[in-house]
Amino acid sequence: MIGSESVRGLATKVAKRPFLGTPGRLVVFFWSLAMVLFMPAEQLFLAAGVTLLCLAVLYPASLRRLFRWRWLIFSLLLVLPILFWSGETTSPDTMERLALGLQMVLRMIVVIVSVDGLSTAVDIAEVAGLLERFGLRGLGFAVGVAINLLPALRRSGQAAWYSLRMRGGLRAQWWRGLQLLLVTILMNGLRQAENVALAAEARAFSPDRAVALPIRRSAYDGYLAVALLLVWLLVGWAG
Amino acid sequence: MKFSTRQLVVLAVFGALWGLVEISLGSVLHAVRMPMSGVVLSAIGLTIALMGRFFVPKAGSTLFIGIIAMILKLFSIGSVVVGPMIGILAAAIIAEIVLTAAQRPSRPAFLLAGGLAVLWTLIQPFFAGLLLFGRDAMSIWLGLLEEGARLFGLGTEAAVVIAVLLVVVRLLIGAAAGWLAWRVGGLLQTRLGRVQLDRQVAV
Repeated sequence: MIGSESVRGLATKVAKRPFLGTPGRLVVFFWSLAMVLFMPAEQLFLAAGVTLLCLAVLYPASLRRLFRWRWLIFSLLLVLPILFWSGETTSPDTMERLALGLQMVLRMIVVIVSVDGLSTAVDIAEVAGLLERFGLRGLGFAVGVAINLLPALRRSGQAAWYSLRMRGGLRAQWWRGLQLLLVTILMNGLRQAENVALAAEARAFSPDRAVALPIRRSAYDGYLAVALLLVWLLVGWAG
Repeated sequence: MKFSTRQLVVLAVFGALWGLVEISLGSVLHAVRMPMSGVVLSAIGLTIALMGRFFVPKAGSTLFIGIIAMILKLFSIGSVVVGPMIGILAAAIIAEIVLTAAQRPSRPAFLLAGGLAVLWTLIQPFFAGLLLFGRDAMSIWLGLLEEGARLFGLGTEAAVVIAVLLVVVRLLIGAAAGWLAWRVGGLLQTRLGRVQLDRQVAV
């Protein structure tokens, strides 16, 4: 049996506001992009450094993920050609070429970490809820249905493909085979959609009456936006 | 953009399918570094989105499908998602503009929407390279030229021919996607008995 203490604890947990809300996380995302995309090349190292520091505090796991061999080799592949080949710049100066290569790698790291951090920290329903507030009514419901349909669609697609392969695959009459494959997958999907629509209508769901999905907010979101704007201006001014 | 519950569910099915293609096939094609993988993915995605338009012939439905696919791609694990996300959204916007301008779904409109939307894959490297990675347009152009030269077995000195071929191939693949969407959409409507139902209502 659940005691009153645990209920109170649960209530506190639910009511507890996160350090950063979804608007705050979105501000960090757009700020990160603005820091590396719209900053002149001279300030890019400073801007990328400050941004990565901020992202490291907020999303340490996303940054750690980049220290895998795959990413390190990819970064090297981006820098080395610029050092030895004059594709990106006509400058004969090796240091200048190295700087250009590093700028590209830094931009890439900031973009990847900010996207990865945002997608990890923010719930998919919240993104849909946010977009609903910008006029895409019913998006939250549609995304929810899409997520729930994914496994069924995957299974249905695989089954249709295996059936087609047992009958010769796409070797003979590949265009017809492709059409049949698409028809089978979509027929299954649409049948499931019919059931979902019936269930939603039976529960009196209507996109016109539906309330947009809630978004986590924090008291610090506004302050953070102002602080990040100041940092952006300061870094730009420092150059 | 107002849709009924049934329309939303249908859009969700097509959005989920496009997202599924991007998550599963997209990761595989990028991993094996298949040439023109972006074109192939874009064509498959657009076939699905255009079929969605066949079922929900309302302004904004193609864009809605694209947004659902983009959100699913954003939350997929273990791959670089920025480029594909831009690609999905751009293709959906282009197809939406063409189809909305055409007002009623028609085969020519589907062909044009598919062709122009797949053509975006030629512009995307410039857009993403210039904006995201700070590369210069010349090196991106040279990269595309080299890829085209390898693909068509031509020398890089035939730059104009390669550029024209790159555009034409994309337009043709996109148009084929539009044609396939129109054909399969029609087949599905017939199988689901919606054409007959519409006729009965009209009578």
